Amino acid sequence: MQRDEMPAGTLVLLILRVLRSGPLHGYAIAQRIHQLSADALRVEEGSLYPALQKILRQGWARAAWGTSGTNRRVRFYTITQDGLQALEDEIAGFERQTRAIRTVLRTA
Amino acid sequence: MVRELLRRLHHLLHRRRFDAELREEMELHREMAARAGGPPLGDTLRFREDARDAWGFGWLDRLSQDLRFAFRTMRSSPGFTASAVLVLAVGIGATVAAFSSFNLALLRPLPVPSPQEILRFQRQGPDQYWTDVPYPAVAFYREHARTLSVFSSTTARLSAEGDEKPADAFFVTGNFLAELGATPLLGRIFTIGDEAPASPPMVVLHHRFWTSRFGADPGVVGKDIRLNGKAAVVVGVVTPEFSGLGGDAPELWALAQQHPYFVQGSPLLTDFSGQRNPGTTNMWGRLRTGVTAPAAEGELMALAAALRRTHPDDVWEGERLRAEPGGYLQSVGSKARGSGPAPRLQTRLYPVFAIVGVLVLLILVVACGNLGSLLLARGASRQREIALRVALGAGRWRLVRQLLTESLALALLGSGAGLALGALVTKAVLVWTEAPAWIDSTPDWRVLTFTIGIGGTSALLFGLSPALYVARQRTGRSRGRSVMIAGQVAASCVLLIVAGLLLRAFDRASSQDPGFDYHQTVLIEPALLQHGYRSARARLYLGELEQRLRALPGVEAVALAATPPLGGARTTTALLVNGRQLEVDVHRVDPAFFATLRIPLLRGRGLRTEEPAGVVVSEPLARRRWPGEEPLGKTLELDGDTVLTVVGVAASARSLALRDPDAVELYRVVTENDLGGVSVLVRTRGTPEAAAAAMGAAARAIDPDLRPRVSLLKHLYRDRIRDVERAAVAVGLLGTIALLVACLGVVGLVAYAVAQRTKEIGIRLALGAGRHDILRSVAGQFLPTVAVGLVGGIAGAAALAQLLRRQLYGVSALDPVSYGAAVCLFALAAGLAGLLPARRALRVDPSVALRCD
Repeated sequence: MQRDEMPAGTLVLLILRVLRSGPLHGYAIAQRIHQLSADALRVEEGSLYPALQKILRQGWARAAWGTSGTNRRVRFYTITQDGLQALEDEIAGFERQTRAIRTVLRTA
Repeated sequence: MVRELLRRLHHLLHRRRFDAELREEMELHREMAARAGGPPLGDTLRFREDARDAWGFGWLDRLSQDLRFAFRTMRSSPGFTASAVLVLAVGIGATVAAFSSFNLALLRPLPVPSPQEILRFQRQGPDQYWTDVPYPAVAFYREHARTLSVFSSTTARLSAEGDEKPADAFFVTGNFLAELGATPLLGRIFTIGDEAPASPPMVVLHHRFWTSRFGADPGVVGKDIRLNGKAAVVVGVVTPEFSGLGGDAPELWALAQQHPYFVQGSPLLTDFSGQRNPGTTNMWGRLRTGVTAPAAEGELMALAAALRRTHPDDVWEGERLRAEPGGYLQSVGSKARGSGPAPRLQTRLYPVFAIVGVLVLLILVVACGNLGSLLLARGASRQREIALRVALGAGRWRLVRQLLTESLALALLGSGAGLALGALVTKAVLVWTEAPAWIDSTPDWRVLTFTIGIGGTSALLFGLSPALYVARQRTGRSRGRSVMIAGQVAASCVLLIVAGLLLRAFDRASSQDPGFDYHQTVLIEPALLQHGYRSARARLYLGELEQRLRALPGVEAVALAATPPLGGARTTTALLVNGRQLEVDVHRVDPAFFATLRIPLLRGRGLRTEEPAGVVVSEPLARRRWPGEEPLGKTLELDGDTVLTVVGVAASARSLALRDPDAVELYRVVTENDLGGVSVLVRTRGTPEAAAAAMGAAARAIDPDLRPRVSLLKHLYRDRIRDVERAAVAVGLLGTIALLVACLGVVGLVAYAVAQRTKEIGIRLALGAGRHDILRSVAGQFLPTVAVGLVGGIAGAAALAQLLRRQLYGVSALDPVSYGAAVCLFALAAGLAGLLPARRALRVDPSVALRCD
């Protein structure tokens, strides 16, 4: 299994994106990203939790304790209105960036 | 942005809970990951810290961690902590005390309402200045000025019935006390209504006078007081907190309008020329709301021009009234009139404070150097701890930060102690110099800010280089210590030399001849002008007085002088010599002056009354003005229009500027116009004390209305040199402290060197080295350091002494005695301090030494 390093600054974008589908706890966020990327991206604890704290600090998500499917006490992250707005901005920015990078790759 | 800040604050306040939640969450994550088969990677604690850092408070954690550790370390070595705090408290305390006095004199406004609105005014013409303003001009400005409310005070001495000592009175405008926010303790203060011509004579008492003269009598208001034999009613007593302006408080205030009532024939209200003003009239103004100082200056300039139309001889062409901040302690100096622009009071004080500042900073340098070497030594003993930390992965920067935090904690304690010590010293100085009661020496925000700044700076000064050395684990090298010891030696050497210079100046001032004889001379000040004596009447009076004085037994000579020696007021003129302005004291004396004060005439002859254009110059003036030429017969041009011919050269006698070796003087014959302000100098054959009483009686017998002041020149002289004595004591104290602290440093250095070289010394002794060889080798290690420090100290002292030169009563700034004595004292003390631990080197037992580590 190839493990790619996450491009800088995209982790927050990915977290917000998976949260848009509904509240998730930390481990589930990491799992979901892993699955959705067809096992290509792996989110480590060491980067996931600082990113989540940053999202909380910005007010893009709220955290609340709840019970998981396996009856464990876990903390669910729910995206906020600000978070949805931020996600859109981030996606737009990311696309602008990748388009630009692609253009360079094609023409240079 | 604001919401984010609030969220962060919320996090900060509930961080314990958040931390617990984060831990739970991450443990769960790890469990799940383990179940899924992923390998547990990395350090959970580290991850949690990283996550927490997202909130941006990591530095706070580390700081509190460092501080807690620092205080723990300090507690575990109380001896070290106590000595460090003590040394630091001395250094910081000295700077805090110096800054407090600077703050009181120049920075802190007086406790009057809105002090920034108060301006002091001086007359400034194109080529002359007066610090005082004639009272009728003040009244004119007061009546017409719209931008500000003008007020003034005029000094006077009135004899109070039953008191030997005359009372200092200020004759003020009716608005003076009210503009300065004086509040009555009893009765009331003056109002503008009191200036009506029909008002009865009245005075307001100073709290001090009320207690000393009236025994704090609560029923004093309404009582009569007799001043100069004239009755006046006491209308009020002001509170002791009232500062007045200029820090010089009188015994009582009276109305300027009523000056002629108390002082018969007083020309105060009518004399536009200011030449016959019996006292000193200072003019102030309070700006009206929204008016700037330049606007007020502009209006007053226009008013001066208007006044010049009616008084062309009394108001100068192009005269303006220059405004200076008036609401500060040092806003008023003594009366001065001279040519050129008026010196700014504040800038005149800066050199004094610069010298004081340098001296106290030297103490701080000594303290910091001492503490720095202590820290280095301790760093050496903490090598194991540091090595362990490095092995556990502490970064160098993290170590430096930890060590600096320890220094900062020390500086914090030291600053606290220094602040307390500084406040105490300031208080003591205020008591010692008999400062007025309203001066509040409690540290204000400026002093607090200064203390924090000095504390932080000294933490860097003594903490940074040890921290770097220790973190790099290079404490074995003693370069850092040597630099610090050399710095201490140099700084304390400067202090000792300056103390020596001041002591020598005091010694010279008290033992040596200042160029005139003050031992047997009595000064009689009849204050004729104050009593309205015009020139003809003054001449009659003075003639009579001279005759009676000469008839007294024991009187050798009598002379008149408008500028008596050691008087407060100086009249100077600026002469252009070799393209540079030379300030010359102008004396107005009669021909007998030189013989009376025993000032030798070196060339030519003395003054003659019938020859007003003749001038006697002092020898230094002649030498500088006409180097290598014959001064007799040369002419001097004064203030552009007066041409004088040199008839004689007198020896230098700096009777108006004792301390200043550069002062030069010229003597002109006293004229009819000056007679109202002259004093009489009487030279006695025996001791002057006995004769003085008879002289006072003789003077009073001529006109009982006059109350001449009789004083002995030697008493005035003693008062004048008291400040050098005080300075010598203060700097001597600083120097002694510095010497002690620096010697402690030397002891530490040598002891450390010996301890480090125990093994080597043991081997040498075992191989048969003599005690002298060992001592020489140990001494050789620290002698260069001390020598470098001494040379630096001598150079520093020489530079500083240049600033001091004009305060040294003619002692050379490079006076070899002071330098030699200071260096010898220092060398002796440092040698003894070094010998103490060095002796231990000799007692090293080779067999023990070889076995140690």
